[in-house]
Amino acid sequence: MASTDGVVAAEADLPQAAWLTALLGLPAMGPRRLGALLDNRSPAEAWTAVRSGRPLPEVAEVVGGRVGALTAEWAKAAGDIDPVVVWATNRAAGVDVVALGDAGYPRCLLTDPEPAPVLFALGRLDAVAVPSRVAIVGTRRCTRYGRDVATELGGALAEAGVAVVSGLALGIDGAAHAGALSAGGAPPIGVVATGLDIVYPTANRRLWNRVAEAGVLFSEAPLGTGPRAWRFPSRNRIIAGLADVVVVVESHASGGSLYTVEAALDRDRPVLAVPGPIHSPASRGTNHLLAEGCVPLCGIDDVLTALGLVGSAPLPNDRRTYPDGSDLGVLDAAGWSPTTLDALARRVDLGPVDLASSVARLVRMGWFDEERGFYQRVR
Amino acid sequence: MLATVHAATLLGVRGHPVRVEVHVDNGLPAFNVVGLPDASCKEARDRVRAALVSSGLAWPSRRITVNLAPTGVPKAGAVLDLPMAVGLLVACGEVEPESIDGVAFLGELGLDGSLRPIPGALPLVDAVEVGVVVVAPDNAVEARLVTPTVVHTVPDLRSLVLALRGEEPWPEAGSPAPEAVAFEEPDLVDVRGQRMARFAVEVAAAGAHHLLLIGPPGAGKSMLARRLPGLLPDLTGDQALEVSRIRSAAGEALPTGGLFRRPPWRSPHHGASAAALVGGGSAAMRPGEISLAHGGVLFLDELGEFAPKVLDALRQPLEDGTVQISRVAGSADYPARVLLVAAMNPCPCGGSGAPGGCRCPEHVRLKYLRRVSGPLLDRFDLRIDVDRPEPVELLDGSDGEPSSAVAERVAAARERARSRGVTANVELDASALATAAPLSHEATRLLEATLHAGRLSARGLHRVRTVALTIADLTGREGPVGPDLIDTALGLRIDPFRPAGHGIH
Repeated sequence: MASTDGVVAAEADLPQAAWLTALLGLPAMGPRRLGALLDNRSPAEAWTAVRSGRPLPEVAEVVGGRVGALTAEWAKAAGDIDPVVVWATNRAAGVDVVALGDAGYPRCLLTDPEPAPVLFALGRLDAVAVPSRVAIVGTRRCTRYGRDVATELGGALAEAGVAVVSGLALGIDGAAHAGALSAGGAPPIGVVATGLDIVYPTANRRLWNRVAEAGVLFSEAPLGTGPRAWRFPSRNRIIAGLADVVVVVESHASGGSLYTVEAALDRDRPVLAVPGPIHSPASRGTNHLLAEGCVPLCGIDDVLTALGLVGSAPLPNDRRTYPDGSDLGVLDAAGWSPTTLDALARRVDLGPVDLASSVARLVRMGWFDEERGFYQRVR
Repeated sequence: MLATVHAATLLGVRGHPVRVEVHVDNGLPAFNVVGLPDASCKEARDRVRAALVSSGLAWPSRRITVNLAPTGVPKAGAVLDLPMAVGLLVACGEVEPESIDGVAFLGELGLDGSLRPIPGALPLVDAVEVGVVVVAPDNAVEARLVTPTVVHTVPDLRSLVLALRGEEPWPEAGSPAPEAVAFEEPDLVDVRGQRMARFAVEVAAAGAHHLLLIGPPGAGKSMLARRLPGLLPDLTGDQALEVSRIRSAAGEALPTGGLFRRPPWRSPHHGASAAALVGGGSAAMRPGEISLAHGGVLFLDELGEFAPKVLDALRQPLEDGTVQISRVAGSADYPARVLLVAAMNPCPCGGSGAPGGCRCPEHVRLKYLRRVSGPLLDRFDLRIDVDRPEPVELLDGSDGEPSSAVAERVAAARERARSRGVTANVELDASALATAAPLSHEATRLLEATLHAGRLSARGLHRVRTVALTIADLTGREGPVGPDLIDTALGLRIDPFRPAGHGIH
């Protein structure tokens, strides 16, 4: 078989990482199966073994009954994959491939109970080397409050030299990184569940590129891997492993961020939860965590304390004009949950015109944010 | 032996004059009907024959040809049974031709010779070209609404023949119709709380602005909408006649005492087809729901469940106030000026729709909303979130403001609109609006900023100004439109499509 270009001429010159990349490209291959394959072989030997189609007893232990079909499928797929071409594609895409044990592999993951055998990285690998990292995670279906807290926390931590680790999802994840990026400071670390050439969700494409530029993007999935449901919880264990402290900003009663919490507790990472209104479904998960004894996050200092750092962040300078008269009453009546004009009309004694114009004034002054007819207070 | 009888047929909501020509000649016995009759019209042959025989009249065993002129207009229904029978009687010499001069006949015949009422008596009588009409007794009230036509009623063919021969007088018309009983419309008193939603309903009634209510199940959207017709003023004489004509054409019985005087309320189920909604379903081109709601309220509950194609068929009628249906057989115009009120859930899970407040992922929510196209959404000048009322409001027993009080303000606002030459502000065009409602300096600046922010289209700008004027009319304000009214109009115009979480990257 001929290689596509002259950079790598032969299979003999390929590094370990190249063989691992090829192995990860096999169908239905996950970290556990790969671990079993590499039990007593080098990656290159494992590749030969897979391609030969011989029975693989170590894999059978992990997979169970359908190992025969799987090895046959692997052998067939391996026949169609040229490790030399795969390696060249990764190099051309500017992707660093670091195997467990390589020099560039994040040190904090070395002691992980379930370390990723290989990590694909886009950006600066040394971004992980900052003294402390905090994961900010939460629901995709967040409220304005959650978004504000995530952005604010992301910004304050980055400014304090703490790297923000997150999953680049919609909602809280994206807001945390957006905050970190706008503040400058420590480089952002993103951990995604798709191949590094498949931006998911596409709405976050700009954010994705900016994180790769300013910091680093990690993925356990080889290039070309689209979003698969099982990869998201699996990705969350890497987020927990990379972070010194995990912060949950908003979480529904069940959701992906609770997997991250579980993974963090398995790894003895402190978990902080942001309290929210008891009426807000988006805070049900976090409030439940608090009830179970999780440390509440009431300000940036709580995170810094959990990290063992001493510090205090100044309050951001508020340039908004303070409302007066009936506007102040409306602002007070709104509370911190999303509310409609109809709901506000019950709480304040104003006619429809006075109420609507007061709310519009508050939006213009920056105290309210309007979304689909729901008004939310902006801190 | 030829006879010509005056009659009329229904096409859409209008009557068209028809002359029934009956020719009886020697030849093989036959009975042919020509001149675009539909199936039920052709069946008249058998009904007429049986009716004549049952009434003790002779059936000519000769060659009978019936022509329905003008031949280009399609004829539908059994309304031409009676004129055909009369034509035959005249052509056979049973009745003198002079006795039917200047008389039109409209009615369906039973096999026993009895005369049955027909749908659409009002537009049909309106269409006849002569001054005297004979109809079934049950059609008398409707037919007499058309002045100055003289209306005779006969119970059956036999008494008709006797009256035409002058052997007996025309049967008595029967007692005059009883006075109209006022129909009890649901009252706003029953709506607790929901002050903003009530206000939106009031503005909709005052300015005839289309209204979209968005809210979770149980928020009382339908309840609010149902109370809107009660806020509208009575129909004027011409409107009442037009509304009654349409509903009569659709086969609805007119209220006791004559015309429909109150604005209609139509609430078709979301399984409705496009033809059911805009009309033109059969050969007679029956009017659709939007025409049946003409002059009143068309309520579409569960707007998101209507087929998108069906909804888009409403766009043109909503814009023009008329429906034009064209079929192979012909075309028809129907009036369709309605106040459109629609209700929908904010998302398929039935949650509150608040950010972070429901289980639906963003793309699912947007997919649900996109069943309502942007252009249709743009027709709604008023769009408001309706919350479930709080338990306290439901139980504390204090009633809301009654409809009568709100209707008074609405009537006053409509009075101001009339002084501008329109029945409601929604009909104002750009130049009329500029004269009627100049903007104050601050209001101009506010609208400029909103336009720059991309929150408003040119059409939207016009609509916001119109709604602001309606609010001014309701609150009795004079002079230029101030920024608070513009803010209120904008606040009553939410954009449910705006995706969450934008504006942070």
